[in-house]
Amino acid sequence: MGDDYPSPFRSEQMSLVQLIIPTEVAHDTIAELGELGDVQFKDLNPDVNPFQRSFVGEIRRVDEMARRVRFFSTQIEKEKDQIPIRPLYDSAPLLTVGPRAAQTMDELDLKLKEHEGRLIQMNDSYQLLCERTRELEEARHVLRETAVFFERATGYQSEVRSSMDDSSAPLLQHDDRESQYFSSSVQFDLEFVAGTIERSRLPTFERVLWRVLRGNLYMNHTDIAEPFVDPATGEETRKNVFIIFAHGDTLLAKIRKVAESMGATLYPIDANADKRSDSMREVTARLEDLQVVLFNTGANRRAELVKIGENLASWVDVVRKEKLIYETLNLLNYDVRRKTLFAEGWCPTRDMPMIQDALKHATEESGTNVPPILHELRTNKTPPTFIRTNKFTEGFQTIMDAYGIATYQEVNPGLFATITFPFLFAVMFGDIGHGFITFSAALLMILGERRLAKADLGEIFGTFFFGRYIILLMGLFSMYTGFLYNDIFSKSLHVFPSGWSWPVNHGNDSVPANPTGWTYPIGIDPGWHGADNALLFTNSYKMKMSIVLGVIHMTFAICLQVPNHILFNRRSEIWTNFVPQMLFLQSIFGYLVICIIYKWTVNWETSSTGPPSLLTMLIGMFLSPGTVDPDTELYRGQSSVQVILLLIAFVCVPWLLIAKPYLEWKEMKKIQGQGYIGLGTEEVPRHTSDSELEGEEEGNGGTIAESMDDDSEHHDFGEVVIHQVIHTIEFCLGCISHTASYLRLWALSLAHAQLSEVLWSMTLEGVLGMSGIFGFVAIALMGVMWFTLTVCILCVMEGLSAFLHALRLHWVEANSKHYQAGGYQFTPLSFAKLNEE
Amino acid sequence: MEALFFNVDAGFIEGIVRGYKAGLLTQTQYNNLTQCETIEDFRTQLSATDYGNFLANETLPISTSTIADKATQILVDQFNYLRSNAVAPLNKFFDYMTYAYMIDNVILLITGTLHERNTSELLERCHPLGVFETLPALCVATNVEELYRTALVETPLAPYFRDCINAADLDDLNIEIIRNTLYKAYLEDFYAFCSSIGGPTAEVMQRILAFEADRRSINITINSFGTELSKERRAKLFPAIGQLFPAGNNALARADDVDQVRQACDGVAEYRAFFDTAHLLGDDGLGDTGAAAELEDRFFAYEVHLNKQAFLQQFQYGVFYAYLKLKEQEIRSLTWIAECIAQNARNRIQDYIPTF
Repeated sequence: MGDDYPSPFRSEQMSLVQLIIPTEVAHDTIAELGELGDVQFKDLNPDVNPFQRSFVGEIRRVDEMARRVRFFSTQIEKEKDQIPIRPLYDSAPLLTVGPRAAQTMDELDLKLKEHEGRLIQMNDSYQLLCERTRELEEARHVLRETAVFFERATGYQSEVRSSMDDSSAPLLQHDDRESQYFSSSVQFDLEFVAGTIERSRLPTFERVLWRVLRGNLYMNHTDIAEPFVDPATGEETRKNVFIIFAHGDTLLAKIRKVAESMGATLYPIDANADKRSDSMREVTARLEDLQVVLFNTGANRRAELVKIGENLASWVDVVRKEKLIYETLNLLNYDVRRKTLFAEGWCPTRDMPMIQDALKHATEESGTNVPPILHELRTNKTPPTFIRTNKFTEGFQTIMDAYGIATYQEVNPGLFATITFPFLFAVMFGDIGHGFITFSAALLMILGERRLAKADLGEIFGTFFFGRYIILLMGLFSMYTGFLYNDIFSKSLHVFPSGWSWPVNHGNDSVPANPTGWTYPIGIDPGWHGADNALLFTNSYKMKMSIVLGVIHMTFAICLQVPNHILFNRRSEIWTNFVPQMLFLQSIFGYLVICIIYKWTVNWETSSTGPPSLLTMLIGMFLSPGTVDPDTELYRGQSSVQVILLLIAFVCVPWLLIAKPYLEWKEMKKIQGQGYIGLGTEEVPRHTSDSELEGEEEGNGGTIAESMDDDSEHHDFGEVVIHQVIHTIEFCLGCISHTASYLRLWALSLAHAQLSEVLWSMTLEGVLGMSGIFGFVAIALMGVMWFTLTVCILCVMEGLSAFLHALRLHWVEANSKHYQAGGYQFTPLSFAKLNEE
Repeated sequence: MEALFFNVDAGFIEGIVRGYKAGLLTQTQYNNLTQCETIEDFRTQLSATDYGNFLANETLPISTSTIADKATQILVDQFNYLRSNAVAPLNKFFDYMTYAYMIDNVILLITGTLHERNTSELLERCHPLGVFETLPALCVATNVEELYRTALVETPLAPYFRDCINAADLDDLNIEIIRNTLYKAYLEDFYAFCSSIGGPTAEVMQRILAFEADRRSINITINSFGTELSKERRAKLFPAIGQLFPAGNNALARADDVDQVRQACDGVAEYRAFFDTAHLLGDDGLGDTGAAAELEDRFFAYEVHLNKQAFLQQFQYGVFYAYLKLKEQEIRSLTWIAECIAQNARNRIQDYIPTF
């Protein structure tokens, strides 16, 4: 292909290339190609187990490094205070190509190992300390809470006692209680077990104890207000302090056993208040010590993490790239002496020089003088589809790719969708104001493109951002159609003087407007706005317009078959498919379009006959061919024209049905007549004129021979017939239903216009006349409401709905006419894509 | 009728479970696994299956128990997901599935306590599907009565326990009797429950449970040879369901050696094959233990076969049970292969039981 500029009309021409790479430069070559992102490697050993491939050892090592890096990331993420991770573009690059590559990797491996070891050690000691701290804290809680129990218990006792000598004076009673507190705490002889237990287990614990001890216990518990946080997982556990009084050693032993098995922690508590306060002091002191140590360990650990954070991004990058490189290397084949590697892959033919350059560069980088060799292979395999996009066409292409990936070198509908998609959208969304809002939103996104592209936008906004250029064009086109509809937020513009004048004096009755003899130059005359029959007029106008647009769109889609037929050397299909389809569509709906336009050009006020209904005309054309009511005749000789058109359309059906299978059958006969008989099943002889010759010209022909029978199509005659029958029926019925389907343009456009009018009259219209402060406030309030609803309902909701319908019109109505979509996407090895994930 | 309304309640999770089933390892994947040289190869190979990167974050070297634990964890997660999406009566069905694990855990815990093992260590070894709240309290019990009163009375196992409450002390034999009595009661109860659901569920589950019951009967008989278990007590442990019930069970109750067991099973065509080539007479060098292991393998293989058949029927709950059992079998096979690799016993690596 001679053109030197890549075009989105067809997918790129691809070549199957073979690379012969000396082992020494293999890694660097793949790295270089990965940076370039232009080669899709084929798996040359598909039946080798993943762990039996050549570079498993390296992959394993990289996996281990990746695991360490992941470990660092999770550790950094878990850290409560944020640890800065230096972004990739800011860190010094780690060179993993060139003569020092192996050394760099070794060093990195070692460094990661060291860091991991240190971090694990620190984590362990940190955890240990945390554990100890937690235990001490629990002990403190237990001491504090049990003290409350004891106090309450003694208080209860004293109350019981004091109730006996009720008459004693309060002062005395106070003394009494003091002394009793001391005395009772000394002689407190009930035995008990105290500890902490998880709150969720408490009810079970209680139940089990009740059953084990048959109720011979007194249990008390309180919540510990603050949760305990596990330093490793960050999980919160809430615990309770419990104290159980029971009598007898066996019972106590049982309680202890149950408590331990239920995951409770027991703490030795003394009944003596003095000893309790002693141990409380001790616990507090130890806790303080421990906290100091803990803080220091934490700070050390944090420092280590900060150090890791400085390099983490580049490590992640290197590890990911290395993994990809070795995985790619595993796809390659060793030669017999294991000195060179063979790679096969697809690349765009146009980019071969670039790939050659990359190979040269890789050789220089690695410091050897054995360059990898690249040469093209001849093949009959279908290459992948690669359509170059830029940030502008990407969105449109994605819309078409979502329907199906184009067959290799097929006409790409994505190119035309760039204009037709926003246009059909705009037909449904026509309003200057709404278009402007949409346009400016897209413009904002485009202006802030660089900044937004880096940020994580979330799924919903991310989708909108991805389609920003589609939205931009949609907004622009909506402004244009809005101008034609003369619609701005449901009001009309008086750009030019109207072609109609209203009588100055009129009452409340309807009055006819008078033509001024001047025709409004472009778009709909603002005089229609507010007229009684405005809806009638726009309805008829938009309905006809959508039919006209629809037929043009479908005709265009059918025409797109022609370049495909020519390129794929199926010229006969032009006569067997394209021509009858075209004739069928044009003789029915093309005729309708001409009638519509003709009817618009006639001034029916001065005509002798009344305006005919085109719908009745079309129905009459089928139901009573040859007769036209002279009252509604559109032009002279209408009936005979219609009969001829109808005949053409009817002839097209059997033509479409039979011609292709017949040609196919004749071809088959011819081949069989020449004495070729399909070998084995149904192998069809191919015209392989020059491929072998050229293959030999390339030089090393030996290894190149590709097996020819890889994807031979099954040319079963019966299949051809069935396919053609289905195709014919689908097309003929499709023509009618698809034309009707374009009426959605009218329906949505009407709904949009009506909705925006309703919104205006329900909100702003009522308050516009008001004056004074109240009027001002009302206008402000209603204005805000009107604007929000305009954006939310009319722009976003209606916009999405119009988008959906435009999408359908492209996918179903247009694509079914020509788009085969039987290809597979070109997925080159690329580091750039790696970072997107 | 079940075809009309089944999907209203259980359609979603049936879809899920069939998706899970599609992720079970295939014969080719097993073949690839058996070719592995090291555990690392094993991990690489597994990462290409539905297990994905479940071992990616483990530090080397990986022990086989880690593999088993992680794989079981996957199973437990899947089970819990299914269970939390189930509505009546399917949720009850799921509950029934967990009872078997509860019984195992109870037995594990009391056996462990009897031999004075550390409780927390025992708790870790319990199957996560069979954990219940009062499980830890089991270790306090010293006799059956206490066992029942302390912990089991509020679990769903309580009704099964009624029959063994007369057993006095906890010793190894008694524990074994308790286990089998519990299992018998459980199987009968589950069987009755499945029958009450009716339709294809009953059909499929009865087939599976009947085999389970027969397998237990045969195992009890074979294991009781040479122990002090009397024949009458033995007969009491046989579940009153299954294809061997009642004639085969009666014959089993009278059996004195393996040959008589085989005669007892002769009535059922499917079971005849188990004893066909197995040299169970014990005089061929393999010895009784080897023969028993072989028999056990055949039982497993037949169980897998039955469970696979469960997937051929639509609109029934059997798939959930079957999936659980198949996945368990898969984990057993994986562990076996990993163990063989780790211990370099390559000649026995083929002895796993493939699922699909």
